[in-house]
Parts: sequence; structure tokens; C-alpha cells
Amino acid sequence: MRSIHSILVITLLLTFAASPFAKAAQPTTKDQVAKLTAVLKSDAPQKEKADACRELARIGTKDAVAPLAALLSDEKLSHMARYGLETIPDPSVDKALREAAGKLQGRMLVGVVGSLGVRRDTKAVKVLTKLLHDSDNDVAQAAARALGSIGTPPAAKALLDALPGVSPANQLAFCEGLLRCAEAAAAKGNRKEAMDIYDRLREVKAPHQVRAAALRGAILTRQTDGLPLLSTALHGDDFTLVLAAVRTAQEMPGSQVTRLLAGELAALPADRKVVVIQTLAKRGDDAALPALFVAARGGEKPVRIAAIRALAEIGKPAALPVLVDLLGDADLEIAQAAQESLASLPGKEVDAAIMTMLAEGATPRRLTAMELVVRRRMVSAIPALLNAAGDTDAKVRTAAVSKLGELAGPAELPRMLDLLAKAKSPEDLEVTEQALSAVCLKAVKPDACVTQVETRLAESQPAQKCALLRVLGAVGGTNALRGVRSAVNDPNVEVHAAAIRVLGGWSTADAATDLLEVATAATNPTDKMICLRGYLALAGHADLPTDQRLAMCRQAASLVQKDEEKKLLLAALGGIASIEALDLIMPYMDDSATKAEASTAVVDISDKLLKRSDSAKLAPQLIDPLEKATHTASSAELVKRAQDLLKQARSKAKAKTKP
Amino acid sequence: MSEHNAFPEVRKARPPINVPGRASFNRRQFLKRAALAGGAIAVPCIIPASALGLNGAVPPSERIVLGGLGVGNRGTGDLHWMLPEKDVQFVAICDAKQAQRESVKRIVDDKYGNNDCAMYRDMREFLATRTDIDALLIATGDRWHATAAVMAMRSGKDVYSEKPSSMTIAEGQAVVATARRYGRVYQTGTQRLSEDNFTFANELLRTGRLGKVHTVRAHIAPWDAAEMKYDWLPAEPPPPKDDVDWDEWLGPCPWRPYNSAYVHGSWRGYYDFHTSCIGEWGAHTFAQCQVAIGAANTSAIEYGYVNNPTGDGMVTVFPNGVKMILSRGDQWWHGSCGVRYEGTEGWVAVADGYAKPELSSPALLADFSKLVKDYMARTERPMSHVRNYFDCIKSRCLTVANPEVMHRSMSTVHAANICMWLKRDMTYDPVKEEFLNDPEANRLRSRAMRAPWII
Repeated sequence: MRSIHSILVITLLLTFAASPFAKAAQPTTKDQVAKLTAVLKSDAPQKEKADACRELARIGTKDAVAPLAALLSDEKLSHMARYGLETIPDPSVDKALREAAGKLQGRMLVGVVGSLGVRRDTKAVKVLTKLLHDSDNDVAQAAARALGSIGTPPAAKALLDALPGVSPANQLAFCEGLLRCAEAAAAKGNRKEAMDIYDRLREVKAPHQVRAAALRGAILTRQTDGLPLLSTALHGDDFTLVLAAVRTAQEMPGSQVTRLLAGELAALPADRKVVVIQTLAKRGDDAALPALFVAARGGEKPVRIAAIRALAEIGKPAALPVLVDLLGDADLEIAQAAQESLASLPGKEVDAAIMTMLAEGATPRRLTAMELVVRRRMVSAIPALLNAAGDTDAKVRTAAVSKLGELAGPAELPRMLDLLAKAKSPEDLEVTEQALSAVCLKAVKPDACVTQVETRLAESQPAQKCALLRVLGAVGGTNALRGVRSAVNDPNVEVHAAAIRVLGGWSTADAATDLLEVATAATNPTDKMICLRGYLALAGHADLPTDQRLAMCRQAASLVQKDEEKKLLLAALGGIASIEALDLIMPYMDDSATKAEASTAVVDISDKLLKRSDSAKLAPQLIDPLEKATHTASSAELVKRAQDLLKQARSKAKAKTKP
Repeated sequence: MSEHNAFPEVRKARPPINVPGRASFNRRQFLKRAALAGGAIAVPCIIPASALGLNGAVPPSERIVLGGLGVGNRGTGDLHWMLPEKDVQFVAICDAKQAQRESVKRIVDDKYGNNDCAMYRDMREFLATRTDIDALLIATGDRWHATAAVMAMRSGKDVYSEKPSSMTIAEGQAVVATARRYGRVYQTGTQRLSEDNFTFANELLRTGRLGKVHTVRAHIAPWDAAEMKYDWLPAEPPPPKDDVDWDEWLGPCPWRPYNSAYVHGSWRGYYDFHTSCIGEWGAHTFAQCQVAIGAANTSAIEYGYVNNPTGDGMVTVFPNGVKMILSRGDQWWHGSCGVRYEGTEGWVAVADGYAKPELSSPALLADFSKLVKDYMARTERPMSHVRNYFDCIKSRCLTVANPEVMHRSMSTVHAANICMWLKRDMTYDPVKEEFLNDPEANRLRSRAMRAPWII
């Protein structure tokens, strides 16, 4: 016996090598089933039998039923036996399960009952009916659900008969069974039978979910004849049923349902109105619009807001006049809600109405129109915005320019540059500059924009020149830098200062040479400081090669004179993890004005170097700077860090010197 | 008597493991007031709490009473999203693992400054006794998601369940049927359906900005495989039931001996507990793709077997002719749970961590805000997955990741897995929900559940 078992195990292992479903040598199904059932009959361990059951679930035939059924009463394998049996299409499975149901108890019985339900075994109704009264609640509940899955009239009758005497513990399961029976009847077209079950359940004093389910079923099976039930529930005392009614309405197609809900709306209290309106929104049916218009125009604020939102969700242009009216509502939250809904309302009519508002309305309405134009991405409104940008009303003018920044593209750049040329007030200049920057920044080809801006530089007034330089600074790039460079020597003081500030804030290394040159030649200390700061900020860019950053710092070192300048240099050096950077820092450790910053830089660099794979090699060169830092660091915390790092450096240096 | 003799047990009603400060709520009152507050959520002016001097807090009677089932690492993330919602009060946790129960209780009690969060080990007892709870967060392991959701909805709870929503096609059908039967609100934790980058990508497709879509690509997890494990880890002495209730932990799955590795997360990759690398991320990305191509209420019909261990490169085809290709690597995106949609006029790709989606034409980004806001107005769905759940609890409307959407996308996951397991091409009929001419495949659509957890 043992040897047979071993052979079977080996065969199975080979069969299931990659996956239990893989076909190894393509044996016939009959052969596979024979091998698997042999395992079941053998003294194989539980695991192997369980695996055989799992495989039989896929390929088992009538031949496997008896061996599997024999395990239904095996506490260790009863579940896996059902696992194998449940999917075998042969009717002998049902017979085996029914027989087992008469013999088992406890969990094994619950399992078998469940399988009878899964298989929808109509012949099991009798045995399951008996089990509805089992003293084990788990068994009775499983039987109720199984009868529900079978779903035939006899199964339903069994449950209906047992319902009056059901214990509270089992009530939900019995109701579940009946609900399943009703669904099965409705699916077969037996609406009357389904209706009777639902109506019976509506009479039961049951938890809220059962009441909701019964009402739902009672309405759906009656189809349009169920609408009075829906109406009654909306007005009833049980708020659970109000919600069940609206949820059910979401499942029901047709304008008749919409009209009913819309018709009931006026007579409902506010809390119910809100959920009915939300349901009308989901239905997306024009038939709801008149009632929603009424709800939006007046009444309780939550209801109005729900209605306004529903208009957006339904998304029909017919809502346009109402929403436009509500833009002027005295309640600002209503007006805001209307604006938000209008923003999403599709349709050319809506665009046209907004264009009219933009052209003809009073200032507040024109400002709202501009918000909507941008929110709706109405590029067709750009000419109107350009016109509004020349308006005599400053609020309209600045809003229009600002919106152009969001909506316009490179094609509008010449007109926007014209606007800048005409701008007189600081506010107009600022908003136009920002709009120009926004348009250039989002352009697919920013250099083309830069060329236009650069061209205007020469012919512009000083204030406009300053703005254009800042636009170039925002856009960046080689061409923009060229424009800024040319303005550095502008005779106008303001333009010169603007160019220096833009240059000092340049974010890419291509400005380094210019910055160094200006810093070197500057006679004005402010110019020097701005450029030096910008130059050292670029030297701090971690994405530049270390050698380049060090070279930049060396260049800067020859320029720094003031303490503030030295500190900028030390900050840049502190970000460069190299021994050379330490060498540059060391002189500043003896200067009382800079020793604190120098110590910080030494500690930061040492920390990074000691984490590198070649730290043992570098460690000896860190000892002197760190020793010094332990004396010059400005805070106890930094002293501690320096001491710790010094210890590490000494340890690594010592380890390196050992043979 | 037990179905398995390792756990002979007679289930008894017993009190919760700690003594909760159980709130006494009138459900009708809650729902009635919540309907009004539902409008208030996004319109703070009508929250009466401000008038009551509660500094924006929602009065108890307007709160959604929330409980947790199996809230582990992922669930704790969900919990941290849910707890700040002012109209939500978390009151009880049920978990087979004591350490997890206590961890959740600490988080919740810290949040509320009390000791009220009740703890339960037995799920059936928890559901039967806590009738005051309106809604649940279910974040167990995969094996429990559908079973727990069905049992919870039958008990009258609304459900937020972590993904994947099912282990089999039959389980998914049960979730759909139960939610529909009882009118329950159900949301699966596929939160990218409520994120702006992913929503923008979907709306690009829906509004035709990428032309006619022909191909979508869905990320599958870069770990594990489609081939599953069937071995048992070495048996260890089971811990005391209050520490880890192994029987409860296994739930409807086949019994196997206890090993602590399973309960510490090493259940992934096992056929009994997991939906493979395809389900791990496909639960997210297939749903994203199906919603994007207008196939949320159907499943792929063709599945091309690929001879590799993971399903990488499998081509599936939807009834509308759009191909969805499974992709394990990062060649189409950079980040987790990526999707890419390809149309006749352009493409979009998005994954976690993107500042903005990648596009064939960056100019398309100009409409980012408009498309996302239009979507929110058109659907009244916020860019917050948990907020969408709570809003729908009040309105009774369908969530964005509702049972049908999740069942249909998970059916695609399950069919893709079955295709890999049987190593052959498959054709699936999403209407009949069966494979064509493949009885073996059809027998893998369900698995017998272990008693007493039979739904």
C-alpha cells in the first residue's frame, strides 16, 4: 500500500510540477481522475488529498463523485471534498450531497447544505425544509439561504411557511432566502410570485435592510404599477424606506419615474427633497428640469444648492436662463453654486450667453463672465478679452489681462505686448507682465516668444523694458539671457537695475560667466552682491559637475571681501563634497566672522565624504578640519556632530594604516 | 461540531473584547438629518454645528457610524483618510489578530481622546450585535473581501472594501447581487478612480481628445507571478485564539496548518489567498482602463495566453474592440499602477507620483483643470475616494467604484488568471459570464467555501 501511495505521489508531483493545472504529458481526463481518486482512497497525507480534491474541482467526472463523497464526513477533508464536488456537473453529486445532509451535523452539515444551494438542487428542497428547523442556527440559516438559491416555488413555500416561527437569530437568513426566491421568480418572469414574496416581507417586522429590500422588490416587480408604492414610501414615516425608494428609482428607467419624482418634490420636506433631487440628477432626464428650476429658485438653501448642482449634472442648456439669473442671487453661496454649475454646463448656447455677459453686463457680471470663460477654456472669447483689456474700467481691464494669461497662446503675444506698451499704472504693468510670462512659459516653442519680447525691448519705455526683462527671466534660455545681457549696460538706471536683478536670479548655469563678469567689474556694491549671490547660487547646483562647482567657487573666492560675501561662498562650498572644498574653507575657520559658517561647511562635507565607499582613503585629510571644527563650531549640536565625525575619521584612518 | 476538527467550536454570543462607550443612535434620525447634511458637506454654510458652537464639528446625530473589519497596514492608511471626515465616527474594530485590533483602537481613541473604540474578534458576532453601525471599512486580506462585504451588506451595513473585490467571478456576482438586493452602498478601495491625474486621463479619452482609442496598457505588479503557490508552510503551534484566531483568519478558504508567516503578510502568491500579480495591481489598473474606454459594465472577451510566468504582455480585447495589454515593467510609465491610453490622435500615460500626466502633446494639459472640474460637476463625485463613499451613504447614489464596475474589472482579472493557469487562449462571454467552449475554465469561476462562511 505504501509503495502504491509513493508512486501516486510522485506521479502527482510530476503532473503538478509547474502548476496543478498544467498539462504535463497530456494524459486523458479519465486517467487523471483515476490517479487523483486513487490518492483520495489511499493513506496519503491530508495535504495531498486536499490537492487532489482541488484538481478534481477542475477535471473531476462522475468517477470522482463517490471517492469525494466518502470524505464529506471526514472532518479534515469535508470542505475539500465539497471543493471537488461542487463543480462536477454530474447529477450524482447532488444525490451524494443530499445523502450526506441526512447524516452530518455541525459545520460539515452547514457546508453540505451550502453546496446544495450553490448547485441549485431542486430535489434538495425536502431535506432543506426539514433543516430550517434544525436546532443549530448555522444549519437553519444555511438551509434558508440554500433554499433561496434554489429559488423554486416549493423552496419559497417552505421559507414562507417557516417564516412566522423563525427565531430572531435566524430571521435575516430566512428573509435572505425569500429575497433570493423572489429574484429567481422575477428572473423567470413569474412576477406575481415574486410580488407575493416581497409583499409578505413588507409585512414582517424586520431590520431596515430587509424593509428596504422588500420595498425595492415590490416596486421593481410591479414595474410602472409600482410607482404608487414609490410615492407612498416617499411620504411615509420610515426614512429608511424613503432612501430605499430613491435608490430603487435609480434602477428604474423611463420618464414616468422622473415625472413622478419631480411631481412629488414640492410636497416633500427639505430632507427628502435633497435625496430626491440627487436621484433626479443621476437620472439625467430633461423631464426633471421644470421641478428643479423651481427648487433652485427658492426655498431652503440645501435644497436650492442640491437643485443647482443637479442642473449641472443633467447638463442640459435649458438650465442656462435659470443659472444665469441665479448668478445675481442675493445669497452669495447660491450665486457661487450657480456659477460653478454654469461653468460645467455644456453647449454653444452657454458659451454665447457668457459672451453676451462679457460684452454687455455690468462690471460684476463681466468679471463673472471672465471667470467662466477661463473655467470653460473658451478660446473663442480671446478677442473679447483683448477688447476688455483696453476697457476704461480698471477692474475689467486687469481681470481681462489676467485671464488672457491663462487662456491666450503665442498667437496673441503681439496684442499682449501692445497692451504692455500702453499700460500706464503699476497695476496694469504688473498684471500684463504676469500674463506675458504665463503665455511664454506654456508655449511649446518658448524661444519664438522670447524673440518677440526681445524685439520689443529696444523700442520700449523704461517701465515696460523692466517688465519685459522680468518676462525674459521667467522664461529663461539662451536667447532670453542674451536679451537680459544686452540690458545690463542700459543707461537708464531702472532698466540696468532690473537687468541685474533678473541676471542675479537666473536659474541655469549659462548665466555664470555673465554673473562673474558683472560681479568682477561692478562698481556698485549692490550690483556686485546680487551677481555674486546669483553666481554662488549656481555653484550650489548639485546637478553641475563637482569640478565646475569648485572652479566657480575659486573664482568667487578671489572676489569676496565682505563678511556677507564670504558666508555666501562658504554656503556654496558646504554643498560640495570634496577635499578641495575643504581646502578652500580652511582659511575662513580662523576668521571670527566666518568660523561658524566654515565649521558648518566642514561638518557637512565630512559627513558626506565619510559615507562614501572610499572614505578610508579620504579620512586622514578630514582629521585636521574636523578637529578645528570641534573648537570653532557655533552650537553644542554642531560640536557633537564634529566630534562624532572626527572619531569616525580617526577610526577609518587608523584602520587604513594597519597592515 | 466543526467542519474541520482542528477547530471544534460552538459559536456563542459574547460581549465585545473591551467595554465600548457605544453610542445610541436612532437610525431613522441619522438618515433623515444626514440627507440635509449631505447637501451641507460641500456647502459648509448649512452645517448647523457652527451655530451650535462646535467649531465645525458635525453633531453626533448627523454622523455616519463607522466600524472596521480587518484593518491592517493598508486599512490603517484608509482609516487615516476616513477619520478626519467630520461627519464620521469610528466606533469599533473587528480583527482576527489582537495586535491589529489594539493598534486600530489606539489610533481611534487617540483621535477622539477617549477609550471608546470597541474591539471584536468574531466577525459574525460583530455584525449581529453592532446594529448601530452604518458603514464599514473592510481591509482584510484578499481572501475575505467579498465574503465579508456580502455578510456586512446582508447585515445592513454600507461597505468600503479594499481591493481586490473578489477572489473569484462567483464572489463578485454575490457582491453585486447583495448590494443591489439590499440597496447598500459599496465602494472598492481603487482610489485612483478619485484622483485628478487619472481622472484627467480618462476624460481625455471620453471627450475624444486622443481620437479613437485602440489600445490601453495596464500595469500588473512587478512582484509575485501569475503562477500560484500551493504548498503549506511548516505547521507551527497555533497561538491562543485571542491573539490570532486562525480559523477566523482563514475564513472561507481551505484549511491549512497555522504558520505565523501567513498572518504577517506572506499569504501573497498563494492560490487560496491571492489573485496573483495580475490581480494585485490589475484590480486598480483594469478598473481604470475599463472606465476610461467605456467598458466599466463589461469585461474583456478575448485573452491571449503568454508563455511567461507573469502574464506580462497578455493582450485582452473588449467588446468595443479596444485592446488592453498587461504590462509588468516601467517602459510605458514611471511609477506604480500605471496606465497608458493610446488613440488615433495621441496618448496619455499616468502612474502614481506624477505631478501631471505624460502626454503625446503637452498642450493637452491646458484643459487639465477644466476636464477634472467638468467631471466632478457632471458626476458630483469629488476627488476624494472616501468622501465619495460617505456622500453616497447619504444620497444612496452609486459610488465611483461601485459593485458592478469592480465585479466587471475583477472578472477581467480572474479570466486573465485562468488563461494563465490553463495556459491557453480564452474567450469570455460577459453577458452570460462564462467562458466559451471551455468547461475547465468555467469550473474555475467559483470555489467551494469553507463552512460556516458560505455566502
